[in-house]
Amino acid sequence: MTTPISQGAEHFSTGMSLLRLDSAWRQATGAGVSVAIIDSGIDTAHPDLRGKVVESVEAFLDDKKVSFVPSETGDSAGHGTACAGIVTKLAPDAEVYSIKVLGAGGLGDGQAFLAGLEYAVKKRYRVINLSLGTTKPQFFAPLHDLLDRAYQAGCIVVAAANNLPHPSFPSVFSSSLISVIKSPETDPLNFGFHFGEVIELTAPGVNIRSAWPGGGHRNVTGNSFACPHIVGVIALLLEKHPELTPFQVKSALYAIARENTVQNQNL
Amino acid sequence: MHWRFATAAILGKNRHMPDSNDAALASKLRQIIETIDIANALTDPLTLAIEDLLRVSAAELGSGEASVLIRDGSDGDLRFLAATGEVAGQLLNLKVPAGKGIAGFVMSSGQPMAVSDVGETESFYAEVDKTTGFSTEMILATPLRHDGEMIGVLEYVNRSGVIPHLPFTPEEMDKAALFAEAISSLVNAYESAKLLRDFGDKVLASNGETDFASVREWVADLRNAPEHKEMMDLALLVRSVASRGEAERKMCREVLEAVMRYSDVNGDTSFLKL
Repeated sequence: MTTPISQGAEHFSTGMSLLRLDSAWRQATGAGVSVAIIDSGIDTAHPDLRGKVVESVEAFLDDKKVSFVPSETGDSAGHGTACAGIVTKLAPDAEVYSIKVLGAGGLGDGQAFLAGLEYAVKKRYRVINLSLGTTKPQFFAPLHDLLDRAYQAGCIVVAAANNLPHPSFPSVFSSSLISVIKSPETDPLNFGFHFGEVIELTAPGVNIRSAWPGGGHRNVTGNSFACPHIVGVIALLLEKHPELTPFQVKSALYAIARENTVQNQNL
Repeated sequence: MHWRFATAAILGKNRHMPDSNDAALASKLRQIIETIDIANALTDPLTLAIEDLLRVSAAELGSGEASVLIRDGSDGDLRFLAATGEVAGQLLNLKVPAGKGIAGFVMSSGQPMAVSDVGETESFYAEVDKTTGFSTEMILATPLRHDGEMIGVLEYVNRSGVIPHLPFTPEEMDKAALFAEAISSLVNAYESAKLLRDFGDKVLASNGETDFASVREWVADLRNAPEHKEMMDLALLVRSVASRGEAERKMCREVLEAVMRYSDVNGDTSFLKL
């Protein structure tokens, strides 16, 4: 559920964008950009993904402490593979890192992805795909702290909104990460930006054809499939402008979304 | 004493004067049955209400099958609590390991999702379909939460109506989330009732070694036995006769007592066989 903030929104929702980018990023492939996918693992043998996943690790609980070891268990649910398929379709040369926290034995939901996010921030992966969330209040403060650390380390965290009656975090945090909600749009570069909404970005997330464990493909729908579309776009931007900070990336996404809106209105 | 013999003691078959051990056991068995009946009285209406909501919501979403999976233990495993549709009975015996399949992902991620063309090889649902004989084509799964805690998953499987079936829409995902809100409250109430049942089991078990799994099975067998059904019919008949008036009640009692006196003296009631 999103909450509109009306004051000041008109300044951002009308007129030309305040920032203009060159369009070189549109021809980029994500080369040299590290992308972490914190999810259910990735089927690295899938034809769409072969050779694109640099490393796969998975969480395990050892004496109440979460550790990460090389993973050979693939993807138990399909979701991580679908997300990786979406990212690499947009940014085929991005370096993908799989951090498996779902389906890893003995870990609670919040605990698992908090550990995965901390691992990704420590490794300083440039873009982090987080299609997970929690509504447990005890994770609110640690997640906030971790996302601030990610922001300061230059890691760009992209989270999926859950679009349910009870909003989950971190997607509802607005300062140190980018949150995404699905739209019926099909062109991945034609994403939208809603200033003043808790979830600011909209991206394709309805009936997306993507890779699935075992070599096949599935049509998938959900905010968690909108999230990797934005991750792919950021990988393209960072290839051409590796110096961009999380704040600048968010501004660039806003500028592109504004251009998209203007172009869509002129069609 | 063996449960079957105890059953006979309670039901009055092979009636004889019970010794003190028989009486104590019979008393304990009555206690157990009462506890199970109370627990069922709490949980059964809740599962029926969940099934009703599943039917209503599945019709609203144009889906053929709907089910509720709830957490099973603390490691994220799931089990089917309620289901509607042609293979509902078979689903109720199935468990889903943590993080496995679409339901496992939704449980551990808290993210709703829909997938069409599910039923290809190598998928978790191919395994489930092999067990049930069903063919999963598309699925919509949304989390069940109570007080911020993940308590299960609500699933809608396949479309009803004319082929080709269209995938679930974002609007239908939003509707499913609203139904999940209502079902979450019922699932939470069910889990509370189940806790009470488990507590009752523990209290009874504290008086001695009792295998409650076998007791529950035994009570279920008892309830399903033809003789139990006949007894229930007989009880209803007696109640019906008794409701006609004092004279009918007196006559009914005299007839039944005459049968028992004859049985006590002669050791059998074979004369009653037709």
